[in-house]
Amino acid sequence: MKTVVRRLSGHLARGLAMIWVVTTLSFVIIRNIPGDPVRGQYEKLIEQGMSPDAAERATAALYGFLPKGSLWSQYVDYLNGLLHGNLGQSLSTPGTGVATIIGSAAKWTILPVLGGTLLSFLLGVTLGVYAAIKRSGKLGDALAISGSLLHGIPQYVIGLLVVAVFSTLWPILPAGGPVDIDFTPGFNGPYIASLIQHATLPVLTYALASYGGWILAMKSSVATVLGDDFIMAAELRGMSRGILFRYIARNAILPLFTILALSLGLLFGGAIFIESIFNYPGLGLLLVNSIGARDYALMGGTFLVLTVAIVVANIAADLLYAVIDPRVRKGAEA
Amino acid sequence: MTRTSAPGVRVKDLTVVYKTPAGELPALGGVSLSLAPGTITGIVGESGSGKSTLALSLLNAVQPPGRIKEGSVEIDGLGNVVELTGEELRRARGRQVGYVFQAAQNSLNPLKTVGKQLLDLGRSHDFDDLPALLKDARALLGRMGLDGGRVLDSYQHELSGGMRQRVGIMFALVLNAHLVVLDEPTTALDMITQAAILKIVRDVHHERGLTTLIITHDMGVAAEVTDSLAVMYGGRVVEHGPTTEVLGSPRHPYTKGLIRAIPRLSGDIDEARALPGRPPTLGTIPKQGCVFRERCPLRIAVCDTVDPEPVTRDARTVACHAVGHLATPVVPKEYV
Repeated sequence: MKTVVRRLSGHLARGLAMIWVVTTLSFVIIRNIPGDPVRGQYEKLIEQGMSPDAAERATAALYGFLPKGSLWSQYVDYLNGLLHGNLGQSLSTPGTGVATIIGSAAKWTILPVLGGTLLSFLLGVTLGVYAAIKRSGKLGDALAISGSLLHGIPQYVIGLLVVAVFSTLWPILPAGGPVDIDFTPGFNGPYIASLIQHATLPVLTYALASYGGWILAMKSSVATVLGDDFIMAAELRGMSRGILFRYIARNAILPLFTILALSLGLLFGGAIFIESIFNYPGLGLLLVNSIGARDYALMGGTFLVLTVAIVVANIAADLLYAVIDPRVRKGAEA
Repeated sequence: MTRTSAPGVRVKDLTVVYKTPAGELPALGGVSLSLAPGTITGIVGESGSGKSTLALSLLNAVQPPGRIKEGSVEIDGLGNVVELTGEELRRARGRQVGYVFQAAQNSLNPLKTVGKQLLDLGRSHDFDDLPALLKDARALLGRMGLDGGRVLDSYQHELSGGMRQRVGIMFALVLNAHLVVLDEPTTALDMITQAAILKIVRDVHHERGLTTLIITHDMGVAAEVTDSLAVMYGGRVVEHGPTTEVLGSPRHPYTKGLIRAIPRLSGDIDEARALPGRPPTLGTIPKQGCVFRERCPLRIAVCDTVDPEPVTRDARTVACHAVGHLATPVVPKEYV
């Protein structure tokens, strides 16, 4: 337990450092974009007839830091606001806090991304084992080829293909939006059914986009483990097929956990394309819209949340790795 | 089904081939060898002589691209192992034939404790009384000088080479197998640990009444523990007999060469003579004639065309045209 705490604290320190770097960069970038949006907003408000003081207060409320004063003091104010959970106000939807907007968008990204990733991970890993065991047969070839093929197609192409097949050629699933507006939100059957219907294609796209990578990675990992001495030893001790399969799978899956963490981060990036295709109101679409509307406070907030998500995914993967691999666990004690 | 006494083993005309781009090449070319019940038999030979392939054949476990082409391996209580398949074969492995791997090999799953793997083994062989299995394992480990409870709670990376090898022996014996095959059990261990492991092998062999086969390339190991000794060369058993006789008065020119090549502890190092030439590899084993003729000081015309048949006389089996059928061996030429 003590080692877990020590590992976790190390990860947290590194994660916080990374988050700090990203917030600092996004602050500096927003302050240095040609046209200076903060000053631009301040001047726009004055042009609209506000007094300089009122304009300053309004801009401060909008960005979470004061446009006046040295860059350094503005930066300190900005960080101070972040520490209190204040991400500023959205420009494009006046009167709404960035934190609120991101909070309501996050669930539309996190659930489909997690669902799609876990689905493709489980499917790709399981089929990867078979592709490795049957690698000299037709089934193994077919699986490996399907993996290479899907791995090579960019995910926005897969998204468009999925829409074309399931909404246009063979219209069985809705192509856009998170839910039908006909149903009353809440915990009732039709509403949830509609939610699932609308989520199916985005989840399928996430799953298909990463499935190829999993099957290929797992295939090569299993092929390596199959050559290990302990597998033959277990075979010669007469271990049952089920136990042998578990020995192989668990050893082969280890290196994939690192890739899982990294791919979660990449998928959040991929959400930008996929949510645009499906008009799905998640963080990706939010980011695209905030860039279009030059809503810098919202942009900064979204970057921050995506960074935190990637950092958290990495920490989780590393802790999970330690749970699965006793060598890593003991290594931390030494 | 499980035997309580040592089984005899009869290997007959066993041919194992490996599939290569150059076609199927024989790793074992018609090997016949009997293990008497309750004895320790050693197999010595250079790398590539087919020792390990022979050992794996006892479990019908020759790995692809290799396969048993012909011949039989009869084990008392099991029948012809070559004909066993599927579940029948799996259950024979571990339960009736125990296999111990090279010390240097990692024969344990790195992600599970020894105890958990033992339970996996018990479940694989439908053991109902798992606590009794753990107790047996602890007793066996204790017998080999280890703290059984601690070892069962350990992962492979927490055990030393000598400890791992004892754990390997425990795995081979804990299901009460009475035929045990040890493939280079002391390779990569230091001399002290090697001596300890050999003592354990010998003691456990006698205590439990086993039939034991030890594969080694170390003549010292063979001399120390085996009752009978088979010498392999180029996928053939060229000489087989009681260990003291094979080492004391070798008949096959290869055995003689091997023994002459061992340096003595005292005396001039130059007294040890290396065997001239190189052992054949899978691809260079001659298609006809004696496999040893290229390096043989006793080579005669017939060696080029006819593979010598093993001839048994006074419990000694020798496969050599020059000495096999003679009552007294011919005086060999000096090695150069």
